[in-house]
Amino acid sequence: MGRILILNGSPRAPKSNSKRYAGLFMDCCKADYAEITKTNHRELCARTGEYTDLVLAFPLYADGLPVTLLDFLKTLEAEPPQQKPTVSVLINCGFLEYAQNHTAVEMVALFCRQNGWSFGSVLEIGGGEAILDTPFRFLAAGSIKKFARSVEKKRYARFHTTMPLPKSMFLKASAAYWTEYGKKYNISKEEMQTMQIEQT
Amino acid sequence: MKLILSDRPLDLTVKNPDQIKVIDLSALKIHNCVGCFGCWTKTPGRCVIRDDAVTVYPLIAQSDSVIYVSRIKYGGYDSIMKTMLERAIPVQQAFIHLVDGECHHVQRAVAPKQAVIIGYGASGPKEQALFRRLVERNARNMNFENFQVLFSSQEELESLVRKEAAKWDAS
Ligand SMILES: Cc1cc2nc3c(=O)[nH]c(=O)nc-3n(C[C@H](O)[C@H](O)[C@H](O)COP(=O)(O)O)c2cc1C
Repeated sequence: MGRILILNGSPRAPKSNSKRYAGLFMDCCKADYAEITKTNHRELCARTGEYTDLVLAFPLYADGLPVTLLDFLKTLEAEPPQQKPTVSVLINCGFLEYAQNHTAVEMVALFCRQNGWSFGSVLEIGGGEAILDTPFRFLAAGSIKKFARSVEKKRYARFHTTMPLPKSMFLKASAAYWTEYGKKYNISKEEMQTMQIEQT
Repeated sequence: MKLILSDRPLDLTVKNPDQIKVIDLSALKIHNCVGCFGCWTKTPGRCVIRDDAVTVYPLIAQSDSVIYVSRIKYGGYDSIMKTMLERAIPVQQAFIHLVDGECHHVQRAVAPKQAVIIGYGASGPKEQALFRRLVERNARNMNFENFQVLFSSQEELESLVRKEAAKWDAS
């Protein structure tokens, strides 16, 4: 049996959605887990060589890879392990459309092609900021199970999921979510809607 | 206002520096976004990290024409430019609306832009194609009304930027 390492490339890894998704993965199959920080790149690069599969769990940032992950991949390119595991992607984005993740997935695929790593499975999650705390959690959990099995069995495939909501309803629900978020800091919806930038 | 945002120093002299700002991001101190959403929920419109990025995103917002110059890595912007673009989310609100039927954030006072994105260091046509797709996606999130993606070698970069900036003087 293979060995799986999940690396969390979220800039807020300890408190991230990616961590929760990684947790659901580990409910389905055995895997080790680590978080990418600014200072542990070399240690993690060496560690990847002990595994048959590497799962990169990260959020979509400005239509691409978060700098946390980008910088790590650059170190991995410079200091690859002797045995390269197959790289799979577990990505989530805030917007409802899981397809907005495609460009970032292609970036990891390009990293693999350029550097001689095999590319494995993909799970793209839309509405990833919210889905785990909604009745649609089961959809995310179900997709992660399929994704995890595909990595475990080395039957690599692409999966995706999102909340099956009409967009109008997603917009309303997300407005309520963010309004509540602001309330925690005593900031009203109107204040959050300010058009001013860097002016108080 | 017009803005040239570059990830490396460029030897450029612009005719009217009041209207055309040139920023070399490699000379600034800009930390990574930590994904705290403070700029949407705690201090709306202001990043909680008070480094050089807070002088740059207001200029991005005000500019109706921009030239972004970036090394390309894995089909995307390399770290210097990408770090700045991530730190620019205070120019948007948390709230979402539809743009061309897709979810995107509502912009604060962000001028619609004519954007020229110049990438250098791509490994070949496939990487260039991916970069182009990325900029197409960015256009919706960054309020680009029109955009052009150009590729350059490092040697020809400055002359290409000059040529593009000269079009502003002419217009
Ligand atoms: C700087 C920044 C940029 C983001 N860019 C996008 C984006 O382009 N598209 C999108 O759908 N979500 C975007 N998001 C939202 C995140 O992908 C979303 O909140 C995700 O759930 C975060 O996952 P994490 O908790 O694992 O970091 C962005 C968030 C931040 C902070």
